Amino acid sequence: MAEKDLKVGIGDMKFTRGNGVIITYALGSCIGITMYDPGLKLGGLLHIMLPSRVDPKDPKVFKYADSGLNEMIRKLTAFGMVKSRTVVKIAGGAKMFSISGNADFGNIGQRNAAMVKKILAEQHFRISAEDVGGSHARTMLLNVATGDVVIRSAGRPEKHL
Amino acid sequence: MRIKSYEDMNLQELDVMKEISSIGTSHAATALSKMLQKEIRITIPEVSILGYEEAVDKMGEMEELVAATLVQMSNEVNGLMLFIFKMDMANAVLEKLIGKRYESFTDMDELDYSALEEIGNIIICSYVNAFTKLVGVEIDLSVPSSTVNMLGGILTVPIAEGGYETDKLMYINAEFIVDGVSLSDGLLMLPDIKSLNNILEKLGVS
Repeated sequence: MAEKDLKVGIGDMKFTRGNGVIITYALGSCIGITMYDPGLKLGGLLHIMLPSRVDPKDPKVFKYADSGLNEMIRKLTAFGMVKSRTVVKIAGGAKMFSISGNADFGNIGQRNAAMVKKILAEQHFRISAEDVGGSHARTMLLNVATGDVVIRSAGRPEKHL
Repeated sequence: MRIKSYEDMNLQELDVMKEISSIGTSHAATALSKMLQKEIRITIPEVSILGYEEAVDKMGEMEELVAATLVQMSNEVNGLMLFIFKMDMANAVLEKLIGKRYESFTDMDELDYSALEEIGNIIICSYVNAFTKLVGVEIDLSVPSSTVNMLGGILTVPIAEGGYETDKLMYINAEFIVDGVSLSDGLLMLPDIKSLNNILEKLGVS
C-alpha cells in the first residue's frame, strides 16, 4: 500500500484530496458509500453498519446510514464539494446467511441499502453506480486521483464501478 | 439489567463463562472426535470480549476466505452461535469424511460445503446442549445456515445483529489438537444482553 492509503474501519468515514486511495475491507451487510468531486479531486468513503441512529446522543455518527451520510455531506461540503458534480457510488448490503423459516433474519443489508438510497434522494444526490445485494462480501476502494471505484470479492474478477 | 454490554462483565463473571465454555468445548470436541473417529485434545478455551477489528485480527485477516456456520438461538436465550472454519480445520474434516484436501475454499463443491455445515452444526449443538444443562435454561436452535466468505464480512453479521446493543463480540477460542496438529477454531457465542443477564443470574454470579 502506498503511503497515502487511508483505511476506513466499520462505522467510520475518511476523506482526502488530490491523490491517494481510500479503502474499506470486507463489507458484508454494511454499505460503503463513496462521494467524489472531480473538480476538486476531493473524495470520501463512508462505511455504515445500521440504517438509523435511534439514540440521538449516540456519538458514533458514522455507524448509521442516516447520521453518517448527513455528517459526511456536511464535512465534504465544508471542504468545497459541489453537489451537482459529485459522483456517488455504493456497494455492500449483502445477505451473508439465510435461515430457512426465518425470512427476516439477515435482511439488515437490504434495510441498509434502502435507507442509504432514501437519504441520498432526500439530499438530492444521484447514485451513478452500485454493486449491492447478493451474498458475498466486498472490499471497496476509491482512487482519489481519478475517481475510480474498485470492488474486490473472493473468487470474482475485480469490478470497476 | 445490571449488564448493559459484554464488556461490563467482571473477572469473576468472565471466569464463569470460561468454565462453561470449557465444558461446552469438550462436548463439541467429543462429538467431532466421534465423527472423525480420531482422538481430539483441546486446550482450555480463552473467552475474550472483543471489538470487531480486534476479533478479525485475532482470527485472521479481513479478506481471508473462511467457511462459517451460523445458528440462531431462541427461547430463554436469544442470540447467535457462529462457528468459523479456517482452511486447516476444514481440510482435517474433509480429508476424514470425504477423503479430499483443498488449497482454497473456492475449489470446493456443494458436497464439501454441506459437510462443513454439518460439522459446524454438530459442534454448535453439542456446545449449546452442554450449556443448557449447566445453566438450566431452555435454548431452541434454528436450522444451520452457512457461507464461504471473507472473514471480515462474516463477522459483521453478529456485529450488525447486536449493533443497537453492543459493539463487542464474545469469542471462545480453544485449539483442537488432532493427530498432534493444533487446529484453530473460532466459536462465537452471542446472546443478546437481556439473555446474558439472565444467564449470569441463573449461575448466581450477578
